[in-house]
Amino acid sequence: MRTGLISTTVALAILGLASLAPAADTIPVGHLACYTGPTSDVGVPYGNGVADALNYINAQGGINGKKISFETVDYGYKAPEAVATYKKWMSADAKPVAIQGWGTADTEALVKFVAQDQVPYISASYSGHLTDPAGKGSHAKAPAPYNFFYGPSYSDACRGLVQWAMDDWKTKGNKAKPKFVHMGDNHPYPNAPKEACGAYATELGFDVLNPIVYSLKPADAKAQCLSLQESGANYAYLGNTSGSNISLLKSCSTVGVKTQFLSNIWGWDENSIKATEGAGDGLAWVVGAPPWQSTDAEGMKTLMAISKMSDSGGQTYRSLHYIRGVCGVMFMRDAMLSADKQGGITGPNIKHAMEQMKDYVPTGMKGVCTPSTWTGEDHRGTTKVSVYTSAFNGGKFTMKPLATVEVPRRADWIGW
Amino acid sequence: MNFNLLLQLLVNGIIIGTLYGVVAMCFVLIYKSTRVVNFAQGEFLLIGAWVCWALLVKFQLPFWLGFPVTLVFMLIFGILLQVVVLKPLIGEPIISVIMVTIGLSMFFQSLMSWIFGGFAQPFPRVFASNSVDILGMQIQPAYLMSLCISVVIMVGFYFFFKHSRMGLAMRATAFNQQVAQSLGISVKQVFATAWAISALVSAMAGVVVGMVNGVSSALSFFGIKVFPVVILGGLDSIVGAIVGGLIIGVLENLAEFFDAQWLHIGNMYTIAPFYALVLILMIKPYGLFGQKDIERI
Amino acid sequence: MATGHTLMRCGQFRTTYEADTTIFPTPMSRNFAIGAVVILILAPLVLNAYFLNLLIQIGYYGIAALGLNIVVGFTGQISLGHSAFFGFGAFASAYLNNRFGIPVFFCIPMAGVLTMLLGLVVGIPAGRIKGLYLAIATLASQYILEDFFARADWFTGGSSGAMAAPVSFFGWMLNTDKTYFYVVLFYVVVMYLLGSNLLRTRDGRAFVAVRDHYLSAEIMGINLTWYRILSFGISSFYAGIGGALFGHYLGFVSTEGFTIIVSIQFLAMVIIGGLGSVMGAMLGTAFMVLLPEVMEAVVSHAGGASQGMAQALAYIKQMSIGLAIILFLIFEPDGLAHRWRLIKAYWKLYPFSY
Repeated sequence: MRTGLISTTVALAILGLASLAPAADTIPVGHLACYTGPTSDVGVPYGNGVADALNYINAQGGINGKKISFETVDYGYKAPEAVATYKKWMSADAKPVAIQGWGTADTEALVKFVAQDQVPYISASYSGHLTDPAGKGSHAKAPAPYNFFYGPSYSDACRGLVQWAMDDWKTKGNKAKPKFVHMGDNHPYPNAPKEACGAYATELGFDVLNPIVYSLKPADAKAQCLSLQESGANYAYLGNTSGSNISLLKSCSTVGVKTQFLSNIWGWDENSIKATEGAGDGLAWVVGAPPWQSTDAEGMKTLMAISKMSDSGGQTYRSLHYIRGVCGVMFMRDAMLSADKQGGITGPNIKHAMEQMKDYVPTGMKGVCTPSTWTGEDHRGTTKVSVYTSAFNGGKFTMKPLATVEVPRRADWIGW
Repeated sequence: MNFNLLLQLLVNGIIIGTLYGVVAMCFVLIYKSTRVVNFAQGEFLLIGAWVCWALLVKFQLPFWLGFPVTLVFMLIFGILLQVVVLKPLIGEPIISVIMVTIGLSMFFQSLMSWIFGGFAQPFPRVFASNSVDILGMQIQPAYLMSLCISVVIMVGFYFFFKHSRMGLAMRATAFNQQVAQSLGISVKQVFATAWAISALVSAMAGVVVGMVNGVSSALSFFGIKVFPVVILGGLDSIVGAIVGGLIIGVLENLAEFFDAQWLHIGNMYTIAPFYALVLILMIKPYGLFGQKDIERI
Repeated sequence: MATGHTLMRCGQFRTTYEADTTIFPTPMSRNFAIGAVVILILAPLVLNAYFLNLLIQIGYYGIAALGLNIVVGFTGQISLGHSAFFGFGAFASAYLNNRFGIPVFFCIPMAGVLTMLLGLVVGIPAGRIKGLYLAIATLASQYILEDFFARADWFTGGSSGAMAAPVSFFGWMLNTDKTYFYVVLFYVVVMYLLGSNLLRTRDGRAFVAVRDHYLSAEIMGINLTWYRILSFGISSFYAGIGGALFGHYLGFVSTEGFTIIVSIQFLAMVIIGGLGSVMGAMLGTAFMVLLPEVMEAVVSHAGGASQGMAQALAYIKQMSIGLAIILFLIFEPDGLAHRWRLIKAYWKLYPFSY
């Protein structure tokens, strides 16, 4: 029996590894998602958004009649598995012309490879250094010519938040120098904007305190909250992801901290509002697109049609991450459409088409996706930061915009 | 020097430390009687918390009913786990058994996020107030509950091991499996009991953590977090587990205090206990309360 | 025994000590090993980038896994901090190249040596602590090193990570899968030969003696403290080489890749492969690297286009990896190397086996 089991598995495996032949006349696109890894809480809605949008494009007739064939692979946030999947795609007969990626792990591991193979890589890793296609910025590490993302970079988002905080401080009639503190784990993701943001905060006139470290793994954080209280910070930037922010805010509300919290794009969402049960009320955070059904703009109608791809009833609530996933795909679609007119849908052509976009909103997405601009030297899609705040209201939570901050597009901030 | 802050942090450390101690105790219980290092301890917390959450939210049971039902479920779960997975491995190299617990941890973690999703879910409100004041430190009432239950469990363990037949059998098995078996003790039954009790007590800890931070797959990290606690106290000492928990809890908070006040290194809260662990082990290689192996050739 | 050199023998007929301590137990197994290397040298001619990538993965993980097997399988000390050494090797190699401009080709062995020095330091507690206490002390070193990686800007680039240049061999860039495969293969062959050879030396025998009965070993004049620490050092050397190869392959090294989860995975490789077996380390690594890929392939075959399905299958894939490990160990607690020996024994005695 055991041999039978083994041989069946082996046979299945060979079968699986051997065949990956998409139909002719399709546009192959890769989709790396994190459905099971440590980032799955936000990876699932984002991945769903990407998959729905791709299916929607096909349902609408594809790219000038050519359907997109895509395969969704869950890589569990493990870089070597992401690379393996990428190699599998690139060694298939139909190589993907573009890839919808996910987070820091896969994006950073593939920067070099996608540049070599000339495959545009649109992901949800908003790391500042990905905005530097030529590698010429003052903090350049290596060029990332084929990497794109939709929305402000982590650094710009944080800059936007401090800029908002300064305005907030002044409108409240305070004269003293406000105190700002960066909070987050000693880990690549929370630290990504630390320096850039701190420098800008100092420039704006903040007193930047020593950073406070709290774990990315949700755990009791009362000790850190007491430190925060002791430090007397007026504004605290939370660099971690939503799961650990939930614990932190709950701990801080127990201890009675009065600091104004700021959070980045992955640090706060509808689910965290519900999970904190009011402990996070008043927090200001960065949003990449307006919340589900909050406007009746043209884009929201398209979005609802896209949502029906996996939810025919149209009842499911779609989170902010889902919407950002959709926007990333829609920019790619329009780039493909214009690439098709300018010599065919290939990696370099798609990249070129993306870099022609100027204050561009994908067709049908007005009012949802932020107008974005990419150029050959600057991959900062947008530096406009929408700052929102939320309230729990006993379960009927609300999210409302506080301000839209225009962060200056300084040349020396490329890639930082 | 801010004495008020220091005092608050110490209180916080003791309260969190008790919780560490309880989880560590579950760990020690399994190790003591079966010599298995259970890498799936964190998943026990996770399963317990999710089951309780489901009973309270999906089935709308009141807490006083849902909580005991969870405990009963975990009791059965522990026994089943032993019978189905671990019994066939009795007599196999211990390292294979340890690896199996790693497999179990991977399995249950994915199963739980499949069933309940990856989002953190808030636990239904059990206590009326949000915080309780203890010596000037505001803490969540769930911790107070855990403190009380922990004390009850510890006293219960003491009587169980000291005075009950099963407890005696477990101690005998821990001492020497072969001899215990030849004296008519059912080693399988002892193992099953150990796993069942451990699952049950972990579930309680899981529910407490869930009440405070919300239930999410990250709960399972607690399993690895208690390793230093277990070792600090000594692998085979139940009292050691509790003391180890308290020490680590206080140490974390002290590290945070010194870090925030003077050192400004950052991250000492998580790392300092590990430095302390290595130091203590260098001085006392069997932990603070662990039994030194006396070996005869 | 004239035919014995070409056919597999049904018994071990050795008449000298030299014959008993060859690297390969039989000429047949030596020929097999040489044959396997030759086939692998030819592999890039037929295999595409995907399969080469998997082989490269098995290669760099396999080297590190052999290192772990030296400390766990040969010397009997459990280590839960192996991925930190793996990471240190990757960072060290990138650092040597970026900071001092040493060619990557030389950086890799140098990273191995640096990691070995670190391993000797981290291994010091092994002189005093035993068993699980030691395992947790290594767990502590895992966390301490991880924290160090995120903090040491000068060395690792801090939390933003370090860039690792591709390997070049006298101006010849080895940055494609095909060429990099040979780099990895070279190191695999060298490191595995060294590993097999280790067992024939005084040090290797001392390791095994320490594992089997440390008191007897001590009575026989083996310095326990030194050999325990040495085994950590050698194991770290392997981890460092594996890590350096990993780093230069990806081109980017970040703390995120070297967590406790990876350490546990290394342990899984060694246990599944078979403790104390050089061959087992490679088999176990292949098992752990290929399992997710096989599951993915099975799943993508079974999976429809529907999205709920895709997600459910992702979880099922993850679960079945756990389940495969459990079932495997229930049926084969001694690891793949043991299974391999059984298969060999079957053919040796064929057709008289039962």
